[in-house]
Amino acid sequence: MIEAQNLTRRYGDFTAVDGISFSVKEGEIVGILGPNGAGKTTTIRMITGFLPPTTGQVTVGGKDLFAAPREARREIGYLPENVALYTEMRVEEYLRYRARLEGLSKAEARQGIGEAVEGCLLEDVRHQIIGTLSKGYRQRVGLATAILHQPRVLVLDEPTVGLDPKQIIAIRDLIRHLGRRRTLLLSTHILPEVELLCDRVMIIDRGRIVASGTPQTLRDSSAGNPALRVLFKGSLAGAAEVLARIEGVVAVRPHGQAGGWLVEHARGTDPREEIFRAAVANGWVLLEMAGERTTLEDIFVRLTTHDAASEAADPIDPIDPIAPDTTSNAAPETVS
Amino acid sequence: MRAVWATFTRELRAYFFSPLAYVVLFFFLVINGFLFAMIVSFLNDPRSPAGPPLGAFFGGTIFFWLILLFICPVLTMRLVSEELRSGSIEVLMTAPVTEGQVVAGKYLAALTFYLFLWLPTLAYALIVAYYESVDWGPVAAGYLGVLGIGALFLAVGVFASALTRSQLVAAIITFALLIFLFSPGLLENLVPNETAKQAFGYLNVWSHMDDFAKGIVDTRHLVYYLSATLFFLFLTARALEDRKWR
Repeated sequence: MIEAQNLTRRYGDFTAVDGISFSVKEGEIVGILGPNGAGKTTTIRMITGFLPPTTGQVTVGGKDLFAAPREARREIGYLPENVALYTEMRVEEYLRYRARLEGLSKAEARQGIGEAVEGCLLEDVRHQIIGTLSKGYRQRVGLATAILHQPRVLVLDEPTVGLDPKQIIAIRDLIRHLGRRRTLLLSTHILPEVELLCDRVMIIDRGRIVASGTPQTLRDSSAGNPALRVLFKGSLAGAAEVLARIEGVVAVRPHGQAGGWLVEHARGTDPREEIFRAAVANGWVLLEMAGERTTLEDIFVRLTTHDAASEAADPIDPIDPIAPDTTSNAAPETVS
Repeated sequence: MRAVWATFTRELRAYFFSPLAYVVLFFFLVINGFLFAMIVSFLNDPRSPAGPPLGAFFGGTIFFWLILLFICPVLTMRLVSEELRSGSIEVLMTAPVTEGQVVAGKYLAALTFYLFLWLPTLAYALIVAYYESVDWGPVAAGYLGVLGIGALFLAVGVFASALTRSQLVAAIITFALLIFLFSPGLLENLVPNETAKQAFGYLNVWSHMDDFAKGIVDTRHLVYYLSATLFFLFLTARALEDRKWR
């Protein structure tokens, strides 16, 4: 549905996006992940035709954005990072204006507006002036604008940025709902969002794709040894040695509070039973034992962390402002 | 065409929903009403030279120009600058529209509002017509001049608005460019060089307006306004396009 070939964008001497190629299949939900300043927004703007690429080519629904810009743009619904609306207009009035701008007929406009208002839960504010709406509602109006002309492709740039936790959950639900019938490309620097919403992830750093795949394959491919989190009651002398002697265990490191250990073990081995027996044999009280899942955050941090000097110039902030909702069961720890 | 219409109706609505429009309208009418009353009372004085009051109203006084030089920047400064500032340009230009359509829609809205400002001044002509016979030819020509000059000045304003995200800067650029367009009328009699004098004469909007007020519709003037207007609108569309490549 979206084909991007060798996209490069320079601003003067600065190369924001450096030879990115990817494709998104019909019905897929793909997330672009990257630290701030990695080139996400520039990439998205090239896909939506707002910025022409310095080199490279984009086709959307088989239509070249440069050769047939109007046809290609009709295929796309776009929610930019900063949703700017005409604040003096009323919601429905604004949607009618957008429908005309998209070249919809009266009947198409009526249907499109009806569905957008319903889909984006705007019924209550339909006749309200946009300037009086909260940020969450404005975001929804932006989304309604994007789906008004029933595009086959939706492109969302940081759709939940700047919203409060409740609004974030509402917008995510909405995106999931919209993604059922459409091809969706969304950018974010919020990791749980990607895990929650996306079939496939591209991690972008410094204008290049550094990793791509489903959240699961990314996790598998870049994960080191699996690990267990073990917590004994009290700090116990000699626990590290005992644990290290268990078959399959590769490394034992103190973890968290006193008595907590991170036990790395070889892939394909399961030392849990032996750990339990060792605890019983030594009379230790085992409080907790759980598999430590490699999160996307680990991968993300590994891929996008550079030497200290460049890090200072390019700070990474991958921490979700809120805890993810229930669908991601193993709660990702904070990045340290 | 639909995109032009959509932009046009939105912008026109935005004019009527903003307090700015009413402030402009209010002062425009106050000043013009006062001006017209002054002209009538001046012409009523037996010692004054005879002449139609509307002839003096159209370009006969410096007020006419002062008003135009202030109003045009104010009417156009918001048009593109505000889209650039707020970022709404992004959703606008990713819709299936061309730069030209957007510029045309916005410009036509400004021109329509400008003509709306002038609409109440028709009452002056009707008032005069109540007391004496009015030669409607020069009046129509006067309005044609108002249209032509306004069309050009507003095109300059839209262009300046596409250059910057600050409305204030847009207004200042417009004002400066309008002074520049207006200056041949001030310089025509100051330059010694005969060719320069002639060239300034062609570009002298002041004398153009005098002709219109007398009922002389010179096609050279019309060609000047039309071509300069289209030129600036063309530049506006290019300026919008250029923004993408930087």
